[in-house]
Amino acid sequence: MTDASTAEASAELVAEREALAPEPGFREAFAQVILERPSTRIAFVVVVLFILIAVFAPLLAPHDPLRQSILQINRQPSWDHWLGTDQFGRDVLSRLIHGSQNSLIFGLLSPVFAAFFGTLLGVTAGYMGGIVDRVISRVIDMLMAFPELLLAILIAAALGGSFWNIVVVLTVAFTPGFARVARASTMAVKQEPYVEAAVAAGVSTPRIIFRHIVPNIAAPIVVLMALWSASSIRIEATLSFLGIGTQPPNPSWGNIIRDGLSNMFATQWPIAAGGLAITIVVLAISIIGDSVRDFLDPETNQ
Amino acid sequence: MSDRLLDIRDLSVEFGPVARPLRVVDRVSFSIDAGKTLGIVGESGSGKSMTALSVLRLVPEPPARISGQILFDGRDLLKVPRRNMPAIRGKDIGMIFQEPMASLNPLMSIGDQIAEAIMLHESMSADRRRERVLDLLRLVGLPDPEGRLGAYPDQFSGGMRQRVMAAIAMACNPRLLIADEPTTALDVTIQAQVLEMMLDIRRRFNSAILLITHDLGVVAEVCERVVVMYAGKVVEDADVGSLFANALHPYTQGLLRSVPSLTDTRKRLYQIPGSVPPARTIKAGCPFRPRCPARMDRCAVEMPPLVPYAPGHRAACWAVSKEMAE
Repeated sequence: MTDASTAEASAELVAEREALAPEPGFREAFAQVILERPSTRIAFVVVVLFILIAVFAPLLAPHDPLRQSILQINRQPSWDHWLGTDQFGRDVLSRLIHGSQNSLIFGLLSPVFAAFFGTLLGVTAGYMGGIVDRVISRVIDMLMAFPELLLAILIAAALGGSFWNIVVVLTVAFTPGFARVARASTMAVKQEPYVEAAVAAGVSTPRIIFRHIVPNIAAPIVVLMALWSASSIRIEATLSFLGIGTQPPNPSWGNIIRDGLSNMFATQWPIAAGGLAITIVVLAISIIGDSVRDFLDPETNQ
Repeated sequence: MSDRLLDIRDLSVEFGPVARPLRVVDRVSFSIDAGKTLGIVGESGSGKSMTALSVLRLVPEPPARISGQILFDGRDLLKVPRRNMPAIRGKDIGMIFQEPMASLNPLMSIGDQIAEAIMLHESMSADRRRERVLDLLRLVGLPDPEGRLGAYPDQFSGGMRQRVMAAIAMACNPRLLIADEPTTALDVTIQAQVLEMMLDIRRRFNSAILLITHDLGVVAEVCERVVVMYAGKVVEDADVGSLFANALHPYTQGLLRSVPSLTDTRKRLYQIPGSVPPARTIKAGCPFRPRCPARMDRCAVEMPPLVPYAPGHRAACWAVSKEMAE
């Protein structure tokens, strides 16, 4: 921000000259702030690493995660099985690697869908106001009254635990939060003079919403998305742990822990490895989410 | 009358319950000819901005109720269906807002924002549109327009933003430009530049300008006609020359006396006692009565009508009509 508004004409000339010099773009500033903190940098590397692991799971996994072997039950770690084997003789490391696919896809898909539907609902409610706002807000209130996990368990138990069901479950569970944030932000942005100016210039309502309002409320939505990726991974693990998430024999971090729990006294490696994987990823995503929030929040921005 | 572009007749804007309405604009009538500039002056709360916003139908109805006629080129804008208004806004009537600092979308580049205004009303190729945007930026006197297309509003100063706002308002060569206190938020030197730019635009396109301001200096500089508003009513309406030479209404006289003079520095600045009454508290009679130095008994009972006292000079004041009768 130039402070030329308080200065005189000469100062304006200076400001004009300053404005000619290229300012650091948003993207550069973003990268700079985000990567400034060592913790965030590490978190970033961790998340990228896990994404790569998920993408290249079939190439990285040393064994078929589903192949059982009655001769190799409950082995301790060895050169052949780095994290040992479980009660069916399946390689734990391979299951962990393949399990990252399920966990991360849920972690990314549901918040993205929820952000889309939530923003749609919230912006509609916030911009239209009146009866539309009241109906949408009450529905959101109703959904919000349920804890996310409870809602997820409810729907998963009713519909069963297929891949898309879980995505739907988590999307429904997260949508109200996005809608709330989008509605409140929209109501604030709607009052901005530039929106009124756009109306005065003859801009149509849909265009005002998509060009002038949505980009200006994107910051809190993105933060929410980052924060809920972590929750999403956690909830998927919880659902799988409870047996209503990813269905066996397909691996996910949640059901690796679940299988490991019943077999805890034979080998501890599945529980430890699954738990650690979840902890690391959730922590890393949360750290990134916090940094993004700090960057986008004008209150904490330097 | 030469070609009358905007003719506002008995415009009223009301809020609140029908039985006890809150009239923020009360039977306002005035007109603007093509190529001319009309200023509306008055204190804050006198209804001048509301009048301008109703021309573009930017006052939300409901809750507001608007009555009267707003004839733009012979067509009553109040009868145009609401969904057809976006086609008129920006194309036939452009508007410059009061706050240049906040009236531009912070996340769209200057070039895109001006291009958007063109795109809405005229179809042309992207290249031609870019040319047009550059022309507009040159027109409003922004240095280095090519280098500025991709810039964002926060890289601009207030005066530069107001120029961009003007470029947006002028994007489709509107025949009427409404400027709501375009210079209030700017430094004096920038004010002069912005006014000069508006006059320049008017000369080139023969557009009319409706200038809303509380700065009589600005009025003297750019307007041909002046409408003085007080508490939602037009109290005086005159050519700029006769208004400054011979203001009739006590309110206008008070306004003129409260302008600081360059030559006389010792005197304390004149101040009209009191302030504009809240719309709810105005009872029968002249709203200016409590603050008026020339008030009479009749003023408490009856609102004086707006009547002509000289060619093209009307005022609404019992004291004036009494004086003229004598």
